[in-house]
Amino acid sequence: MIKIDALTVQFGGIKPLDALDAQFVAPICGLIGPNGAGKTTLVNVLSGFVAPITGTILLDDTLLLALSPRRRVGVGLRRTFQQELVVDELTAIENIQAVADHVSGDRASARREVALALDFVGLGERRNTLGRQLNLFERRMVEIAKTLIGRPRVILMDEPGAGLNEIETDRLRRLLIEIPSAFDCQLVLIDHDADLIASVCIETVVLDFGKRLAMGPTRAVLDDPVVRHAYLGRE
Amino acid sequence: MSEIGKTEAMPLVMPAGPGITPGIRAVAIVAVVGLVSAVVALTAGGYWLSNFTQAYCMALAVLGCALLYGQLGLVSLCQWALVGVGGWVSLRFYHYVHPPFFVTILAGGVGASVIGMIWGLPALRMRGLYLALVTLMLAGAFQSLVTVISFPVGGPGLLGQVGASGNDRIMMARPIFASSDTAYFLFVAAVTVLCIFLVEAHRRTKPGRAWALIRKNEQMAIAAGVRIVFYKAWAFALSGFLAGVAGALLAGLFGQLDASAFPTTNSIVIFIGTLLGGYDAWLGAFLGGILTRFIPALLIALNVNTNVGFMIFGAALLFALRDPLGLGGQLTILAERLYKKLRAQDVS
Repeated sequence: MIKIDALTVQFGGIKPLDALDAQFVAPICGLIGPNGAGKTTLVNVLSGFVAPITGTILLDDTLLLALSPRRRVGVGLRRTFQQELVVDELTAIENIQAVADHVSGDRASARREVALALDFVGLGERRNTLGRQLNLFERRMVEIAKTLIGRPRVILMDEPGAGLNEIETDRLRRLLIEIPSAFDCQLVLIDHDADLIASVCIETVVLDFGKRLAMGPTRAVLDDPVVRHAYLGRE
Repeated sequence: MSEIGKTEAMPLVMPAGPGITPGIRAVAIVAVVGLVSAVVALTAGGYWLSNFTQAYCMALAVLGCALLYGQLGLVSLCQWALVGVGGWVSLRFYHYVHPPFFVTILAGGVGASVIGMIWGLPALRMRGLYLALVTLMLAGAFQSLVTVISFPVGGPGLLGQVGASGNDRIMMARPIFASSDTAYFLFVAAVTVLCIFLVEAHRRTKPGRAWALIRKNEQMAIAAGVRIVFYKAWAFALSGFLAGVAGALLAGLFGQLDASAFPTTNSIVIFIGTLLGGYDAWLGAFLGGILTRFIPALLIALNVNTNVGFMIFGAALLFALRDPLGLGGQLTILAERLYKKLRAQDVS
């Protein structure tokens, strides 16, 4: 569980996050909001790349802000980025092994975890294909597989469906739903696709101008007239 | 109607590596370096044998430079100065304790490795042009320093200098089994092969994968648990080690070293050799290193001003700009295609 209290981030005169209080409790949570709402800033604060001026974040009982970005990886925090970052010169399995090198316990468990992650995302037969020869869907799958290594506790996924077609998004949806039970972890999904959020996330937090606009069960949140007005542009 | 996998694949730049196993690559390294070395050893005499020995030392320096640029995208313009550091340390160590030649080489490598790691500290904060300029300044500083203190020649004290007459100079001895020029050249070739193996072993295991993540995106690498400072320092240390080994081998070739042989411009030439040969394949470093020595040697043999070499390198850089894979990369592609075609014929 992630608990955020009075979190404020300030860049000069702008506050991308302004005294934000939020909780991510359900196995799959969504984080949505219009452009500039502060979603990616929040992900960067959670993963340690942006320092807030005030506030606290608890990952279960761990004070997250006291840890360096690398130590947060050590306590089980994983993330993907908006832009897929598969290394072209490494094969699919090497891209995932590169993470296992640093987060898995030993060589044997690293090999096991990499094989499991590859099979889970359906890339078992493409394991020896170079990154540059994978299509966008496969590259997104490699990015997801990288987060499944080393017993993750919380996975933050920043727009994992960006650029995918309908069938690929549907397959992604089914995969995301299986992650918490298969890997005993929590998934926080950040995406513009309200349909993806609605079909995958149990609870959702909505941000607008750095503040929490709504929080609760996804269906109720998406049906909230305030959210529909701010996020979807209609009531 | 959209389907899974119908999004466009990334453009193919090089063919897939996976058909080429580490064993096949090792055989290729031994075969290519061995063949070139055998031809040179059987045909070249004094002048060209000496120049090819130096060319192999240049190849080691290029190998280190290519490691930094190809694996981490870092431009280091102090590689030739690190060769000088390796030469200085190996000479000093040799004159102090007269160790076996292998230990002298290791001392040169370790000495340059430590200095390389210290010189690489700016890379923790800077990249691109700024890092290139800082490392170039360090190369300039080394040139000034070594001009003042000179290379050790067996005298007393830390600097190891002798009187003005220089009559007491002691030359570094080559290993007994490589006392002739030809044998020493083949010895240097064997060390070159070992160093290529060392780099390839790094590129294809944990450090290489960590470097690949760092080069792609540092934040992503941190999010994958990679210790950025450690792996960058490791790369600089390995690159410095290769330069240091080259310096020790040069000291063994001549028995002593002269400060005038370590101008700052040579570090730029090393980087040009890296681009011409190609920084993503061991063959590129090998060919790049040979070119950077072969062209000046050819100009001297033809009684042409060696500064013409800079014009040739400048013109050749236009080729490198058009083709980032370099000469070594292109030849590697050809070799891999040929190998796969032959293997496919065998299967059918």
